[in-house]
Amino acid sequence: MTETLPESTISIHLSGMALILPASLVVLSVAILLAVLFLKKKKTPSKGPSDWSIPTLDKHADRDSFFHNWNPAVKVAALLLYCFLVVSLKTLVCSAAALMISILAVYSSRLPWRRSLQRLAAMSGFLIMFLLVLPFTSREQPGEILLIFPLLPGFPFHLNGFLLALTIVVKACAIALLMEPMLATSSLSATLHGFSRIGIPSPIIQMILLSHRYIFVFHQELLRMLRSMRVRGFTARTDILTMKTMGNFFGMLFINSYDRTQKVYEAMLCRGYRGNFPAFHTLEINGKDLAKGGMWIMIGFILLFIELMPSFPSP
Amino acid sequence: MHLADNGYHGYGPAAGELLFQVEGLSFVYPDGNQALADIAFSIGKGDRLALVGKNGSGKSTLVKLLNGLLPLQKGSIRYRGRETGPSFQPVPRQETGILFQDPENHLFCNTVFENVAFGPMNQGCSRDEVEELVRGCLETVGLEKLMYKPAHLLSYGQKKRAALASILAMKPEVLILDEPTANLDPRQERILQELLAGFPGTLIIIDHDLLFLYDICDRAIVLADGRVHHDFSIRELVSSQDSLKEHGLDFTFRFACCGGRHENTPIVPHHHHHLSHDHGRNGVHVPAVAREPILELQHFSYQYPDGTTGVSDINLAVYPGETLAIVGENGAGKSTIAKCLLGLNQGDGYFYYKGEKMDRRRRQILWRQVGMVFQNTADQLFCPSCREEVAFGPQQMKLPAIEIEKRIEEALHRVQLEGYESRIPLNMSGGERKRLAIAAALSMHPEILLLDEPTASLDPESQELLLEILKKLDMTKIIITHDMYFIRDLSDRTIVMHQGKVIRDYPTPDFLADRHVQAVNGLDYTYKNNCLEKIMDLQHNHLHHGG
Amino acid sequence: MHISDGVLPTTISLAAYAATALGAGLSLKRIRQEDLPKIAVVTSSFFVASLIHLPLGPTSVHLLMPGIVGALLGSAAFLSIAVGLFLQSILFQFGGLTALGANAIMMGLPALFCGFLFQAIRGTTLLRNTIAGALAGGLGILLAAALLAAFLYTSGEDFIGVAKLALAAHIPVILIEAAVSAFTVSFIFRVKPELLHSVLR
Repeated sequence: MTETLPESTISIHLSGMALILPASLVVLSVAILLAVLFLKKKKTPSKGPSDWSIPTLDKHADRDSFFHNWNPAVKVAALLLYCFLVVSLKTLVCSAAALMISILAVYSSRLPWRRSLQRLAAMSGFLIMFLLVLPFTSREQPGEILLIFPLLPGFPFHLNGFLLALTIVVKACAIALLMEPMLATSSLSATLHGFSRIGIPSPIIQMILLSHRYIFVFHQELLRMLRSMRVRGFTARTDILTMKTMGNFFGMLFINSYDRTQKVYEAMLCRGYRGNFPAFHTLEINGKDLAKGGMWIMIGFILLFIELMPSFPSP
Repeated sequence: MHLADNGYHGYGPAAGELLFQVEGLSFVYPDGNQALADIAFSIGKGDRLALVGKNGSGKSTLVKLLNGLLPLQKGSIRYRGRETGPSFQPVPRQETGILFQDPENHLFCNTVFENVAFGPMNQGCSRDEVEELVRGCLETVGLEKLMYKPAHLLSYGQKKRAALASILAMKPEVLILDEPTANLDPRQERILQELLAGFPGTLIIIDHDLLFLYDICDRAIVLADGRVHHDFSIRELVSSQDSLKEHGLDFTFRFACCGGRHENTPIVPHHHHHLSHDHGRNGVHVPAVAREPILELQHFSYQYPDGTTGVSDINLAVYPGETLAIVGENGAGKSTIAKCLLGLNQGDGYFYYKGEKMDRRRRQILWRQVGMVFQNTADQLFCPSCREEVAFGPQQMKLPAIEIEKRIEEALHRVQLEGYESRIPLNMSGGERKRLAIAAALSMHPEILLLDEPTASLDPESQELLLEILKKLDMTKIIITHDMYFIRDLSDRTIVMHQGKVIRDYPTPDFLADRHVQAVNGLDYTYKNNCLEKIMDLQHNHLHHGG
Repeated sequence: MHISDGVLPTTISLAAYAATALGAGLSLKRIRQEDLPKIAVVTSSFFVASLIHLPLGPTSVHLLMPGIVGALLGSAAFLSIAVGLFLQSILFQFGGLTALGANAIMMGLPALFCGFLFQAIRGTTLLRNTIAGALAGGLGILLAAALLAAFLYTSGEDFIGVAKLALAAHIPVILIEAAVSAFTVSFIFRVKPELLHSVLR
């Protein structure tokens, strides 16, 4: 039986066979989740439920590639601008093109894929939510195709919504993949120096560097405390005793951090700190850096213009 | 010769320029704690001064005042004749460098290079000068290969040296070290001692370890309750056993003999109580002893996730009621073994507990029977009161409230912390916290108590109290330490580990008499033992000739 | 929940960045120069704490604790959260770099608000402080969830469903955060109460 809605959408009622579509979506989601778990497991030595490691961002910063040999300030400025341009894309086709470009970028940066895949995995939860919810809750557009599944009569699957969600996912992946080439191809302080040249005030950059340094210290403290708790029989459950223990645990962690911050500050004073970190980097910008930057920005604008062309198929 | 306090400049500084002149110095912290009262002394250029005293006697406060980190309240400090007036803002003197106890606090930049360069760059040196200076300092401390390594990837010993380099780079006239040997094993201690011997300027070292200080320093100031109790040469300090005891600095119970060189490490004959595998007739396996071990490792190995070997081919049997000591330098695998015994690490080989083979499931409940006290109490205490801390384990075991109360009282009593129920662990002293950690493990009524380096960062008085408490504990104990003097009185049996293997397993008296082992393991107390002989001579003379 | 790239319209992302920049700039002017490094070190402990999973039935949640950060840091909370989010983005990809401004607004504003609220109602007894902690913790998440939903809605009417789901998903988290915040504040009050006076403002 068919229904004709006043907005002249096209409803397609599907037979049982069409259950393949949602089934494959479910299978895809499960596969992604398993991949995520697999990556998480490999990332952490399986010593216990809450052991993970904090990655060293600039571990492979001493290699040789298009991105490694690029002045960090220009690199960060150009790629960040490019990312904003990609975010502004509206069509699936151009977004997919951006994704291809990002994959090429990761390849050419000679960085290990594992880190980039971990980034994708980190976003997966948030993005899967879009993939599963948007198709059922998006607004109905005139001329849109609706799929009505046999088991869900009241919840039509909006193909437009699905395409919208897919575009978002593809754009997010395109940008996330670009992060490793952008951030992991120079030493951390050089990259952050680059950020300071595009406008982030240097006191904040200094804070970021200092925070980064002590993450590892508190991480080790935290792991040792968790281990002590586990050795006295602590298992995290959803009950009040767990909340109390975690509350005490966080309280202890924060109190220790205040003590440490005072000591670090004293050590800084003793080494002549008067409010400013010395500039360890003096980076020169040459024509090649600017050319690379120009190239990326141009690619971004080209993608945007392609969408605006009248002959381009609308989503 | 005991001196009166207040104003008597006993031994006095070396001949030469007077660097520091301190008169009538007093200091009170905002919370009312009077840290220093009427301190007076002088320090000359080139002096090598040991600043000793019990915990809380004011040593750290004094050095912070000398350095300028704490504002002057009362009294005067003259540096090179110029007086520093009272101030509200601390402005540390550039010519005095302080190395604090925890090197992490000094390494606040992300790479080793940046850390060492920070000081000189603030002093205004040019880039080239800085580059050269950094390279030189890192070469001095032996870290030139790690120049661009991120600071968090260094080992503890490396961090300590990097912190030292970062201070040396500022070319200080005076170098102050606050407990430099804490958590260092003997080999690292010796590296540090050599570095300090090469330092051309003035040294002020705060430490408890008189043996370390004896060779480096020539003068000693003893603080007690914020006052100068003694100010004399270091020879005089160590000569009088009585004054050492008075200030919690008695070291006589740590002495032992030294050893020569040994080339081969034989395979340790071992036996297995539980027959789990076929034994070859290679003479390695000896007949079993009559007693049933409570815990047994057979050909046990553990590899870290990154591939490095933790321990290999461990054959160990622990018998009920005995006290076992596991000795060896840092990196020998002692803590790794402890974690394996606790069930935290999954290794290969056979692991029997009370006759039952340990599988993954049983390992996870091993914590109920093996209590562990970790080296650093800061990581182990996280409750707002002693009561709650000790109650934590029994609560996790879901015991009834009455039983928990009983256990709390009993545990606190056994560690001599009665009446401490509502005290806040954070505000207790180091020795009290260590005892609290032991109580927290005891309240779970474990069958085995594992202690990892229990004497680390405790002052000698606390160490003696701990020794006493542990002697009274009537249960199976395994103590891991690289301080073999401590276990001399405590353990029946000693296991020596080296590079992940067990190389000796014999009764403790045999270990103490074994001249060979110590050198092989880097438990090389030779230099200390030379001092020791000198010290014992001095004390002997003092006793028999009256000073 | 951190917003990833590609979700928000560019105008909103840029506007949020501008607002965050303004907030950060104001913070920098108000906070003493010597407190900045201290705030940075404390920020890393918050960062590390937020990486812990607590079980919630079949799944687990991260605790973000904007309420506690506000209670402990006062007006410096916005800066602390911005720094923490930046690091989370570049190290773990929790939240996209283009969405950093929006994430900072989403977490930072509730932190500031809850910080002031905490100071206002906490009084001097353990009980009052604990309740204030619970309120700050729970309200922090509630406001953050509301801001998240609002940001998602700016992407268009299509996103109403997602916005509602995001809001609903945070409800159990509100309860957990309230409880944990209460116990944390209670611990700090008993052990080192000075910290609750916002020493690093």
